[in-house]
Amino acid sequence: MTRGYIFARLWQTLPMLLGVVVIGFLLVHIAPGDPILALAGENGDEAYYAAMRERYGLDQPLANQLGTYLWRLAQGDLGTSAIQKQPVSDVILDRLPNTLLLAGTALVISTLGGVLAGLWAASRVGGWRDRTVAIGTLLMYALPVFWLGQIAILWFGLRWGWFPVQGRTDARSRATGLAHVLDVAHHLALPALVLASQQIAVIARLTRATLVDALRSPHIDAARARGVSESRILVRHALPAALLPVVTVVGNRVGHLVSGAVVIEIVFGWPGIGRLLVSATNDRDIPVLLGLFLLIGFAVLIANLLTDITYKWLDPRIRIG
Amino acid sequence: MRAPRTTPRRYLPWIGIILTAFVAVPALFAPLIAPYDPFALAGPPLASPSRSHLMGTDSLGRDLFSAVVHGARTSLLVSICVAAPAALIGATVGLTAGFAGGWVDNVLMRITEFIQIIPRFFLAIVVLAIFGDGYRNLVIVLAISSWPVIGRAVRSQTLAVRDLAYVESARMVGARVPRIIVREILPSMWSILTVMTGLLLADVILIEASLSFLGLGDPNHASWGRLASDAQQYLRHAWWLAVFPGAAIVTAVVGVNLVVNDWRPEHSDVGS
Amino acid sequence: MKGPRRRVFAGLAAVMLVTASCASDDEPVADESDTTTGTSPATQPPEDETAEQPASTTAPTETTEATQTTDPGAPEDDGPAGAGGTLVVAISDDPGQYNPALTTSGSVHTASELMFSGLVSYDDDYAPQPDLALSWEIEDDGALYRFALRDDVAWHDGTPFTSNDVKFTFENVLTEFHSRTKASVGALLVSVDTPDDTTVEFRFSEPYAPLLQQLDVTEAPILPAHIYANGDIEGNPANLEPVGTGPFMFGSRTPDEEIVLVKNPDYFEDGLPILDEVVMRVIPDAGSQVLALESGEVDWLWGVPGPDLERFRNDDRYGTLDTLVNPGGANCIMTVSFNLDRAIFQDVQVRRAIAHALDREAFVERVAFGQGNAATAPISSGIPTAHADGLDLPDFDPDEAARLLDEAGWVRDGDGVRTAQGVDGVDDGTPLRFGVHLFPNFAPYGELMKALLIEIGVDLEINALERATMVEQVFTDRNFDTNVISYCNGTDPEVGIRRMYISGNIAPIPFSNSSGYVNTDVDALFDEARNTVDPAARAEVYRTLQEILVDELPYYWLVETTSTRVFTAECSGFKAFGHFAESASCSRE
Repeated sequence: MTRGYIFARLWQTLPMLLGVVVIGFLLVHIAPGDPILALAGENGDEAYYAAMRERYGLDQPLANQLGTYLWRLAQGDLGTSAIQKQPVSDVILDRLPNTLLLAGTALVISTLGGVLAGLWAASRVGGWRDRTVAIGTLLMYALPVFWLGQIAILWFGLRWGWFPVQGRTDARSRATGLAHVLDVAHHLALPALVLASQQIAVIARLTRATLVDALRSPHIDAARARGVSESRILVRHALPAALLPVVTVVGNRVGHLVSGAVVIEIVFGWPGIGRLLVSATNDRDIPVLLGLFLLIGFAVLIANLLTDITYKWLDPRIRIG
Repeated sequence: MRAPRTTPRRYLPWIGIILTAFVAVPALFAPLIAPYDPFALAGPPLASPSRSHLMGTDSLGRDLFSAVVHGARTSLLVSICVAAPAALIGATVGLTAGFAGGWVDNVLMRITEFIQIIPRFFLAIVVLAIFGDGYRNLVIVLAISSWPVIGRAVRSQTLAVRDLAYVESARMVGARVPRIIVREILPSMWSILTVMTGLLLADVILIEASLSFLGLGDPNHASWGRLASDAQQYLRHAWWLAVFPGAAIVTAVVGVNLVVNDWRPEHSDVGS
Repeated sequence: MKGPRRRVFAGLAAVMLVTASCASDDEPVADESDTTTGTSPATQPPEDETAEQPASTTAPTETTEATQTTDPGAPEDDGPAGAGGTLVVAISDDPGQYNPALTTSGSVHTASELMFSGLVSYDDDYAPQPDLALSWEIEDDGALYRFALRDDVAWHDGTPFTSNDVKFTFENVLTEFHSRTKASVGALLVSVDTPDDTTVEFRFSEPYAPLLQQLDVTEAPILPAHIYANGDIEGNPANLEPVGTGPFMFGSRTPDEEIVLVKNPDYFEDGLPILDEVVMRVIPDAGSQVLALESGEVDWLWGVPGPDLERFRNDDRYGTLDTLVNPGGANCIMTVSFNLDRAIFQDVQVRRAIAHALDREAFVERVAFGQGNAATAPISSGIPTAHADGLDLPDFDPDEAARLLDEAGWVRDGDGVRTAQGVDGVDDGTPLRFGVHLFPNFAPYGELMKALLIEIGVDLEINALERATMVEQVFTDRNFDTNVISYCNGTDPEVGIRRMYISGNIAPIPFSNSSGYVNTDVDALFDEARNTVDPAARAEVYRTLQEILVDELPYYWLVETTSTRVFTAECSGFKAFGHFAESASCSRE
């Protein structure tokens, strides 16, 4: 794997991102509804609206607006939030770490949890463990996220008081240092677990399926013949092969994680990108919306790239084409 | 040599079929089964389940059982309206790309990759919020953003099948390309299309539910997602409002998954 | 309410009470009504405060209609001043900037009003009370207003407050950015003069009566000129870290998470505020807000979903505070508007039939969950000087509704949807099917409408649209059949009601005359009311007006909505809005 390959791939993402921005731009601009009406408040007159349109450049032809936007974008300027009157990059970067923390934790939990559950199920195919995992994962997959989230809050938060029900930190204490980290972790646990639940289901099922497949292969039979213990076969021989498709799926599901985060952030009052998306959509804050299109497109492309790299790293047989 | 038992659990698909029937039958015969108009006032508000209201009533006094029965129809209809065009486009693109290869394949795959950049739930939020939350918009945005998954699966399947000997032989005898597609490849697509479409159906139900939670459901139709999300504010006042629609969603998603699981090609990341 | 300065304007004020109001869609609190500042500086709160009456300090009552329902059986002894403590307030979104002079957005005002002040505040009758201004005089029949300002006020950064701040704020900010003040005051304001540091004069091109109703922290918050005078007002860093004159100062902010306000030790009202800190906690989901209150993570909610309210009312661990000031404005009525351009609504009998089918009590009970009362007139009962009693509003009567529709040519076969048979402007056989436009958070109103209309053979389609689309379709394109909007009457019919009915206001402006109602008699009566000074005569004009409106039904009035604040009984001393936490205190073990 060469550095050149990575650069080439990064280079390829540029036109894709440009396309995402242009499509996003056209989408929000051809939509019905006048964004000025959302901005200008409830009263005001024609002249006031005209002045607002001019201020935000909405009186220009669409092509000019797009050109202006792309030109500024090329200079690294995402524009200014129409509602918050701050640079879009600040608005997004303020919230991005929180979503990364939430989604990242969920990714780790779901990958570890999913692989472990898959291993556990595959250790005795058709046995009660297998059945437990099969039924458990199906149920986790089938429940709407907000449903699971509200139930989790009601029980783990309110009834048993194990976790706080909302937010990222405690509102009354201004903890610093380690206490702050623990405070955030305490608040993070419930939303991250709920967000991870669906992914755990997907990854557990896939891990089990690939493990079962790998266990049928000749070299496993050979190992068995040599008298290698069943658990060692599972972990040392079957698992590495089974992990490859898991990597692909984990990478492909980054988009799902971001989507799930939207609902989770609202249920748990987590101050991240998902909530920004919902409020920017409702307020028709076009610069922020376009910034989010760009960010999410970028995140997905990077996730794909990382997936490819990890895949190749795990499986040296594949040559870089 | 003690080989572990690897035979699939044969009874699971049957459970799946029974669960799916629980959804399909009400969907087909909703007006006959539902005792009330799901939108009309049928009794006192927030009445718990009883003989006259099997699943209780909602805050306005509408019959929940009727709404759940009609919701089956809505959920199924929306899912099919999404899955059918998505499967059609996906199959066409996948077949063309896989069979033609070369630059055609390249272009088509770039397009599918491009569409997959923006997660469909994200796209659905934006489109429904600014274009209006009717089901027409939901169906359009989900169909457009869902076909690439199917397209890619069909393509890889096509690639695999294309090189198989029996296709080669058909080609040698001099059969024309469309004929090969129809006669040889399409049948082998059947299982993968069924799986993908089935999983898409389940996904659409879940996506619709989450969108309803964000206030983007269509209030003119009874749908499980809308019922389940409306119930959130009554979790501690009227358990039935959350439990029955929730159970309906789980039944449908689990049922469809069990049914298609049997056809699912190993290793595929379908449904992701 | 009987201080010396009251006489200055009492008579005129009662007549001219005009508070800009707005039709709200969702956001908390816009109208300010500060009851603390009487004509004398507020006294120390503890003396007046009783355990079961965590109301404001010197003012005897809350706003009209506001009631205290903290359970008297569970008095938390708040203790005297010094209790201090932190109040955690749930807000549903972080507006991202905290300059209330730039916008009418409810969420900005909710988050920022504690940090600012207006020239005046309002008591429970919406009569102006001193705030930054101590007294005022009116000359030239209302074309000149002269205010005497306090000389003991400092900005949060220590700079003294002067008349120049007022001049700057009006000339450079309010009449440029604040849409309501720009549209009303800005149109007629000629100049703002500052003869000395504690005097400010507003000069208008013609007599402008409503000014005193537009000077509180909601309509005209005063900004520090020394911070905003140089450079970009919208991009000023002080919009993120405000410097005001209010009871609390900006502390810190974590975007979308919380805004921390700290006590202003030099606040000009002696002894206030009591709390050390107010934390505005952003929790978007209403259900999660309730859970956070119950788990003790927050102390104050601006409102709760209906089903939870009964529980809080009956639980002595919580206090509630009812108010007619809703999120977004005062005296709001959920109103059905018929698009009179549409052929099916041109027949008043059809409108009357629909009105008979819409059970107002059902809306109060099943949609508003008791947070409100059935409307009885076009003008809210919260404006007693204009509200008419005993009007003949169509009562719930589905049979009468069916009869009227039959007569109007909409016939029904069995229990299906009615179809036209000889209706003017409608093809025979056309089904009686129309849509209702509303904001998504009002969808339950649409659902109950749909349920009630099914009974009389009418098929209703619900169009729940976010703000920009809704406003464009209803007011710009007039492409709708009916809509349900919360029209806030404000405190005088002049602004909040006139705009809905006069033919000159059928305009592409949000919350104008959406029905497209044209009646020259009505136009003339509104003008007559504006010029009638005698309250009794004025009320009579409004009665005549309302009788015409009830007769012609260009709109139908469903529910006068109220809001209920819910707070933990560990805290007390709240007002329902405005500087709601100015005299509050919390005690925790």
